[in-house]
Amino acid sequence: MNQTLNISPVPHVRDRWTTMFIMRAVILSMLPATIVGIAINGFHAFLVAACSVVAAVLTELLFDRFAKKPDTWKDGSAVITGLMLALTLSPSVPLFLPILGSVFAILIVKCCFGGLGKNFVNPALAARCFLLISFGTLMTTYTVDGVSSATPVAMLMQGKAVNITKMFLGVPNDVIGSSTACMLLGGLVLWAMDIIHGEICFSVLISFTVFMGLFGGQGFDPKYLLAHICGGGVVMGAFFMASDYATSPVSKLGQMVYGIIIGVLGGLFRVKSGASDSFSYSIIIGNLFVPLIDMFIYPKPFAYTRKAIAMRSGEAGAKKSLKDSIPKPVVVLTVIALISGIALSGVYAMTKDTIEAQKRAAKAASYRSVLPDAASFEFDDAVEEALADLDGDIYGTNFGRAMIREVVIGKDDTGSIIGHAISVTSGDGFDGDITLSVGIDSNGTVTGISFTELNETPGMGMRAGEPAFKDQFSGKTVTQFILNKTGGSTAENEIDSVSGASTTSGAVVNAVNAALDFYYSVVKGAM
Amino acid sequence: MKNTFRGGVHPISHKELTRDVPLRVLNAKGEMVFPLLQHIGKPAKPLVKKGDEVLAGQKIGEADGLISAHVISSCSGKVKAVEKRRVQNGQMVECIVVDNDGQYSRMEGIGVRQDISSLSKEEILRRIREAGIVGLGGAGFPTHVKLSPKNPDAIRYVIANGSECEPYLTGTDQLMRSQADSIAEGLSLMLRLFPNAEGVIVIEDNKPEAIEAMRKASAGNDKLSVLAAKAKYGQGGEKMLIETVAGINYPSSMLPAEVGCIVQNACTIYAIDRAVAYLEPLFTHTFTLTGDAVKTPGNFIVRDGMSFSELIEAAGGLKEGAVVKKAIVGGPIMGIAIPNLDVPIQKTSSGVALVTVDQSEVAASIMTSCLRCGRCTTVCPVGLLPQMLADAVQAGDLERYEKKLYGLECIQCGCCSYICPAKRPLTQTFMRTKAEILAQKRAAVGGKK
Repeated sequence: MNQTLNISPVPHVRDRWTTMFIMRAVILSMLPATIVGIAINGFHAFLVAACSVVAAVLTELLFDRFAKKPDTWKDGSAVITGLMLALTLSPSVPLFLPILGSVFAILIVKCCFGGLGKNFVNPALAARCFLLISFGTLMTTYTVDGVSSATPVAMLMQGKAVNITKMFLGVPNDVIGSSTACMLLGGLVLWAMDIIHGEICFSVLISFTVFMGLFGGQGFDPKYLLAHICGGGVVMGAFFMASDYATSPVSKLGQMVYGIIIGVLGGLFRVKSGASDSFSYSIIIGNLFVPLIDMFIYPKPFAYTRKAIAMRSGEAGAKKSLKDSIPKPVVVLTVIALISGIALSGVYAMTKDTIEAQKRAAKAASYRSVLPDAASFEFDDAVEEALADLDGDIYGTNFGRAMIREVVIGKDDTGSIIGHAISVTSGDGFDGDITLSVGIDSNGTVTGISFTELNETPGMGMRAGEPAFKDQFSGKTVTQFILNKTGGSTAENEIDSVSGASTTSGAVVNAVNAALDFYYSVVKGAM
Repeated sequence: MKNTFRGGVHPISHKELTRDVPLRVLNAKGEMVFPLLQHIGKPAKPLVKKGDEVLAGQKIGEADGLISAHVISSCSGKVKAVEKRRVQNGQMVECIVVDNDGQYSRMEGIGVRQDISSLSKEEILRRIREAGIVGLGGAGFPTHVKLSPKNPDAIRYVIANGSECEPYLTGTDQLMRSQADSIAEGLSLMLRLFPNAEGVIVIEDNKPEAIEAMRKASAGNDKLSVLAAKAKYGQGGEKMLIETVAGINYPSSMLPAEVGCIVQNACTIYAIDRAVAYLEPLFTHTFTLTGDAVKTPGNFIVRDGMSFSELIEAAGGLKEGAVVKKAIVGGPIMGIAIPNLDVPIQKTSSGVALVTVDQSEVAASIMTSCLRCGRCTTVCPVGLLPQMLADAVQAGDLERYEKKLYGLECIQCGCCSYICPAKRPLTQTFMRTKAEILAQKRAAVGGKK
């Protein structure tokens, strides 16, 4: 036997688990949610997921080729990124979004920072935030049967009732991966297999729940808390995104601190910000804390802990004081987190009043502009009651997403009524909400409209604010206006559309019609 | 006492290949090679020269200095040469080559039962030293040195290591089953050196027969106890045994004796009993021949000095058509892969696994970047952060490696490399880095002189 045998450093046997095995397990655990998402939302959702995954894998492949690196696309991590991104997208997004997002995630966030295990934030989430910032409306439009609607969390935050069971199982008016049940199932399997760290997932969930219980405004109402946990990707975030290896701390203690940062930020954003996508941001901010956590919190070898030293010097069972048992870094980080949290809320609280004051001033100015003869504005009790009944809901069925905000009575110096001003918001604007005031004199003649909120495309929708368009409403006594998209209107109740901005024009006309409808059905009766 | 330690891994044990095969004596033909360095410390000095006749059990190499051990011939015959030969760790070592006459004529007096009731401590230690006993777990530290700590009265535990946590190996298991009384007696003999100590025999719970046998053997002695530890790789390490038994963790700068513990392998304890109670020096030991390339895997009592290839032949050879990729001596996690089988079996060779698949080769072919999954941290029995250590090495930051991350505490147990899904060569990196740092330190000390 003179053959030369292999030699190598120790160890000569290896565990069966490989990188690819772990990646496959993660992909499999996301499949139930993907399948349910496609089943609820239809073929387009499948296309979104497929485009996202294919784009992610292709990007990594091309990068490897271009950078002359070994092929890393086979390890499956690109598939995870692509799939994860798809699960955080609305099922109705145009297909270029998932493709663009995946390219961004893989190329910029992953490959440019060194590839697998080197990215500093979760690539899929970074891509999602990139898309949210760049394509706000497209990203936040959730269409059910051709009608766009708010996500359950958005509804929840407006104080509306939501169906928790549906949210748990998966809903159509949310992202593709909206099925909390499937996410929970996949996540728990990964945790049981010891692929993801329970320290992260559970500290995220627990701290988020506790925060919502303390500051959500509804106490520890299980229904309310469950609704919050089931919506807005909290479970997906906790099990699949916060737990991402590359962007979470090394030590168990660090992982808990990290999880708490994400949970608390997630709660803070949900309570204080209007965006239902806020969990993405809290995880990304959590990711950014990781190097700091890793710098401060890492365990000493067993032989160097206080307890081990005490054991060696014979003080068996040496008493641990509370101060000793909490490492200094934890205290420091907690203080940092608290201070930044308080600072954030402080800034919000300070600016909140200013923003509110500005909005009020703008509204008052618009009332004056539509009812220039009025000396004072007052509220009417009967009308207020009717408004309360509406509960901020979409008004009627014929006016798109128009909501009646406020009705004021304009009075002259002698105290006699000269007309009403009605503030209406339409959710059908091209780039966000449109809010306007409609002035109606005591004869039912429209005295004018004035915008308090108009964020349309400059040169197109924004031209609705120009006299050429908005003055068409003035001086007309009708019960309903009709939009004439071709222009050249002659009839009393016809309004020429702003050319190239029929969406905006339609929204405005609908809003004015809603105000008129409300005027004739409620306000007039109250007089 | 808890019955395990923190960290550790659960490799496939492969022990079923040999666990129930009783020990069998294997004799060798042809030349026998006795390296003069089979232990930690200075090589022994040869006591014979070419042409001398030797007997089995004869001392042919004399310990040189304090930390060294005698070398004993395991056969009778004529000394053929004293020359450098390749040994199992790959180095060329001065060896005494004996032409085995096949008679195995023994020195007189060997194997005769002695009255041990009134032996002095000094006599016990002397007999152990004369027998050339070294730690048979693999390290080969001279046993009489280990049994002579500065303050024998401070020793609280003498730990008999019967955990045999390395995959494949089953020799210790079989020895404990068949020679339990002798091991218990050996442990009692050691306890005579340490008046305040109790003896704890640690056996992994995947060896119920051995636990049963040792419990029976130590039943009459209330200073002895058997601890059934959870079967987990790493249990057989000195630090982990002490954590399991005494609940104490100690840094690399300390010796086990400084925390009141002495650890000896069960096979070593058996050798101690043979040496003290039977005046039989260490020239045979248990050996496991196993692996998927071996026709009849089994446990054997082998004589030091025979070559691996001869042993394999004598034991029945290889399976037909089996191509050995790798031969691993002393367990596949911390053992040595030998480049060819024509090297002598020595005191510390506890077994060889002949395998047809080299997992290291497979691992290297599927290596990826570090995922930061943290598995290495979970399994490190010393409580290190292998992933951060590897980062520090890659960044060339040896200061951070040593001072902040305690990289010198690594005991090179191999758990991190074993568990790594990305198949990073972590243990290898740490071995190299530790050697580098220690060399720098030596150079700095030398420079000052």
